[in-house]
Amino acid sequence: MPLSPAAYVRLSAALLALGLAVLAGIVGATVWLADRNQEDFSRLVIARDIRSAATDLLAMIQASETGQRGYLLTGDRSYLAPFERSSGRIADQLDALRAAVGERSAPTVDFGALGGAIERKMSELRETIKLADAGRRADAIAVVETGRGQGVMEQIRDTLVGMIRAAEAEVDSGTIRQRESIGLLRWVTVGGALVILLVAAVGVWLLIRYTRDLGRARAAVEQLNLSLEERVRERTADLGRANEEVQRFAYIVTHDLRSPLVNIMGFTSELEASLEDVNGYLTKLPDGGDPALAEVKRVAAEDLPESIGFIRSSTLKMDGLIKAILKISRDGRRPLKPEPIDLRSMLENALGAVQHQLVENDGASVLDVHVPTIVSDRLSLEQIVGNLLDNAIKYQAADRPLRLVVKAWLATPGRIAIDVQDNGRGIAEKDYERVFELFRRAGTQTKAGEGIGLTHVRTLARNLGGDVTLKSELGVGTTFTVTIPRDLRTALRSSS
Amino acid sequence: MPSHGEVVTIVMVEDDAGHARLIERNIRRAGVNNEIVAFDNGTDALEYLFGGDGSGEMNAHRHLLILLDLNLPDMTGVDILERVKSNPHTKRSPVIVLTTTDDAREIQRCYDLGANVYITKPVDYDAFANAIRQLGLFFSVMQVPETA
Repeated sequence: MPLSPAAYVRLSAALLALGLAVLAGIVGATVWLADRNQEDFSRLVIARDIRSAATDLLAMIQASETGQRGYLLTGDRSYLAPFERSSGRIADQLDALRAAVGERSAPTVDFGALGGAIERKMSELRETIKLADAGRRADAIAVVETGRGQGVMEQIRDTLVGMIRAAEAEVDSGTIRQRESIGLLRWVTVGGALVILLVAAVGVWLLIRYTRDLGRARAAVEQLNLSLEERVRERTADLGRANEEVQRFAYIVTHDLRSPLVNIMGFTSELEASLEDVNGYLTKLPDGGDPALAEVKRVAAEDLPESIGFIRSSTLKMDGLIKAILKISRDGRRPLKPEPIDLRSMLENALGAVQHQLVENDGASVLDVHVPTIVSDRLSLEQIVGNLLDNAIKYQAADRPLRLVVKAWLATPGRIAIDVQDNGRGIAEKDYERVFELFRRAGTQTKAGEGIGLTHVRTLARNLGGDVTLKSELGVGTTFTVTIPRDLRTALRSSS
Repeated sequence: MPSHGEVVTIVMVEDDAGHARLIERNIRRAGVNNEIVAFDNGTDALEYLFGGDGSGEMNAHRHLLILLDLNLPDMTGVDILERVKSNPHTKRSPVIVLTTTDDAREIQRCYDLGANVYITKPVDYDAFANAIRQLGLFFSVMQVPETA
């Protein structure tokens, strides 16, 4: 099924929207995952800081205890070196740990208790070292043996080790989450890319299909155009042949009609001449009261000439009609001579020829030509325009001056149209066709005419490959429109 | 009609008896009293002009003037014109085409084939009678050669 343009636009728009949505999804997911990663990472850093700070603090306290134990055992002050290195930094380290833990709520650490425990432990250490310095090692050892310091140390170790474990657990879980995030990001990217690729593929498929449909449609239109042109050519040729046949028929018929007419007119004249002889004799003859002879005289002098007169006038009329048909058929048979014609000057001349009749009754004319030079048969065109102008003048309305408008324009690229428009008496719609028929006239007959002018125009126009039509309103005016090919040679080529 | 002592015979080929009669009357009115041999079809006319064998020898050494209508029931006058002008015995005989046709191509064709005069019959009888009478006057002064 071919895709309609509307459906194609809708589908394309939907695909584009889908592609954009997927792209937006990918970007959103990426940003979200990056945020999550960032957060995880900072938590990881904090956990590491806590772990290292707690480990260092524990190491310092243990180092201090180790130094005290070594000194108490040996009495050698050099063992106190770790104590002296660490004890001064323990408070700072505790602060560092506190800072690392910061405002984090969980796991909760009681820094007050831890600080107190450390303080108690350190004061125990300092007290024993002071006792040992005073030479009272036994007293110092007694203080150690109370187990007080050890208890406090246990408490400190438990707290710090707890913190270290918690931090380690957090580092582990953070690493896992980070790995998860990266995996998720990969899936989102790969999945989104696949969807976009799919959308793009469908879009391309649609485009190809639509283009192919368009191509096919164009080919079909071209084919149709071609066959249309062919049909028009055929019809034109048919028309030309039919026209030719009608004209040949008219020619033969009129020709054959004239032969008997010669006889009728000839013998009518002979009869007339003979009658004159008879009359000449009869008038000399005295009637002598014979009523029969008087009647014969009257018949010869009145009835016979009257009868002969009717025969003669009818024959003359018939001869006129036959001559008219002959004229049309002869014009139709005249070979056309295509030549370049400046339509404007031709129409100006045609109007000039009727100017005198026009101004006689206060008439006026307007000429409006918008056509390039055309190629046609000059004589035919002059006769067409001349006949139409003559008709316009002949059948002008009695109650108003004639307004003639002659227009010419390019109807299609290949055809020109000439309008001859008047404000005359007009033609009733039922007579539109009749006025073009031979010997037929329409409306009130106040002017002499044979009824061949418009037949002539139509024959001439059709010979030029064109036609003539009319629009009219009774009592308002008539517009005759003649359309002919701009170049007669193309029309002739297609009909030959 | 001068013919160096010989009698000129007018051969009239005209299918319409009325026309034939009107032509004859008007020729006579012009004072032409030569014998007029009339034919109402082409076949009989050809037989008279060229004999049964079609050679035309039987008409040797005669003086013939041919009045020819183009529209005949069995052939066109052009066929007869062509035969007359291509036959060695009749080719010098004057042929006057007298017909209703006034088609320019037809007129050209007749002259091309050797017609001596082409006259269109006027429908108006006065003109017709006048034309035939003038033709008769023309006959009275024209020289008609002997056939070979």
